[in-house]
Amino acid sequence: MGEVLVVTSGKGGVGKTTTTANIGTGLALAGKKVVLIDTDIGLRNLDVVMGLENRIVYDLVDVVEGSCRVKQALIKDKRYEGLFLLPAAQTRDKTAVKPEQMLKLCEELKDEFDLVLIDCPAGIEQGFKNAIAGANRAIVVTTPEVSAVRDADRIIGLLEANDLRNPKLLINRVRVDMVKRGDMMTIDDIIDILAIDLIGVVPDDEKIVVSTNKGEPAVTDSKSIAGQAYRNITKRILGEDVPILDLEADEGFLVKIKKMFGMKTT
Amino acid sequence: MEESMVSFKGTVNGLTIILREQDNIDSILEQIEKKVSSAGRFFKGVSLDVKYRGKKLSKEDEEKIFNLLSNKSGAVIKSLSEDTEAIAQAQDSAPTPAPSKIKMRNYFFKGINEGLTKFYKGTVRSGQLINFDGNLVVIGDVNPGAELIASGNVIVMGSLRGIVHAGADGNTEAVVVALNLQPTQLRIANVITRSPDEKEVRNNFIPELAYIKGDTVYIDRYLPLR
Repeated sequence: MGEVLVVTSGKGGVGKTTTTANIGTGLALAGKKVVLIDTDIGLRNLDVVMGLENRIVYDLVDVVEGSCRVKQALIKDKRYEGLFLLPAAQTRDKTAVKPEQMLKLCEELKDEFDLVLIDCPAGIEQGFKNAIAGANRAIVVTTPEVSAVRDADRIIGLLEANDLRNPKLLINRVRVDMVKRGDMMTIDDIIDILAIDLIGVVPDDEKIVVSTNKGEPAVTDSKSIAGQAYRNITKRILGEDVPILDLEADEGFLVKIKKMFGMKTT
Repeated sequence: MEESMVSFKGTVNGLTIILREQDNIDSILEQIEKKVSSAGRFFKGVSLDVKYRGKKLSKEDEEKIFNLLSNKSGAVIKSLSEDTEAIAQAQDSAPTPAPSKIKMRNYFFKGINEGLTKFYKGTVRSGQLINFDGNLVVIGDVNPGAELIASGNVIVMGSLRGIVHAGADGNTEAVVVALNLQPTQLRIANVITRSPDEKEVRNNFIPELAYIKGDTVYIDRYLPLR
């Protein structure tokens, strides 16, 4: 019996889809059987980030409407065994799916997969309600910006109201140099406000843009710092105890990495 | 409604007569006679395999219809039998829900050389779906995430980067033409191909034509090299 994990944030553009793709791929690398569900109907992206766009024939809406079987709609990843994607429909909107239908679908997929990972759309409307309907764990993604943290706080409240206790916090796109100068919120600042457990910190990394455009998740790139952070998060999801990188130490770690690859240490 | 009591449908193999369960044989015969005589010389001289469906008929009733058709229509009726294929198909597809997107009909759109055509002017953007029962011409680009579905040919006077499905109800003769043919996915009738995973970015327009032979999609230039 698997688990259903929803990746959500409230605010758009903080990295839900990137996180879903990387964690999903990371879990598949660890030998788990994983299915990623894109619930962002009408604005689907996960298929593009995974590089599977050209394989889509059936989608989530076809499945819940019963015009195809779940098996037919699942797209097998081109690189990793045990990794599947259930894409969203692009020519429909969020109202095409109801929370009860998502719940039923999640129950069905739970039997087959170790982990069902749901990529939630931005916002708190129908799409959000669909995404959390079948979930029993949640990861809230935020960036070190007041607006993103505010929205994350709202989302945590809504998750708890829907009986999704103990959501985990993922802080994305942290820039160590800016934090050091005092220009960016620190991790402690954010945890102070949100008061939930931290599952990981992902540093801002140019390689994410490259890997997103190529359709290859960064987690597979051993040279990417963000990839390393996602590998750690994957381990934590699986229950391993990996220490969270302290910011100061993180800086040292970054410098080390940069030196290793002969980059300038700013 | 007397009109729809009996209807004729032309098929690849001949003629199918669609009956209604509740009608008795006499009124059916009467209707057929009316229809045949109103068709005038339409059936004159052709030879037909006739099938019927919608109602079970006894041997005598079958014979009555056979004789009626032979005498009144002027066609040579080669055979008359119940259309068991349609029934078998219906039974086959009953337990598993039929795939919605690729519906194959016996009576698919045939206006490929000449037929109903929709013209769409402008860029078809992601999330937009143009579905037309006929040929489709887009004067503009089709972006990734957009979908074109037509039961006939699809012509794009621009870059085709989205999903395209020509001959969507089963016509394997349908073609896809674009000034810059780089679809995410290309479907003709029931054949599906996808773009290669290595992205090649090409912006010099080379008009190309896609068609199927058997189960394979072929893409050719249709202009001589210049």
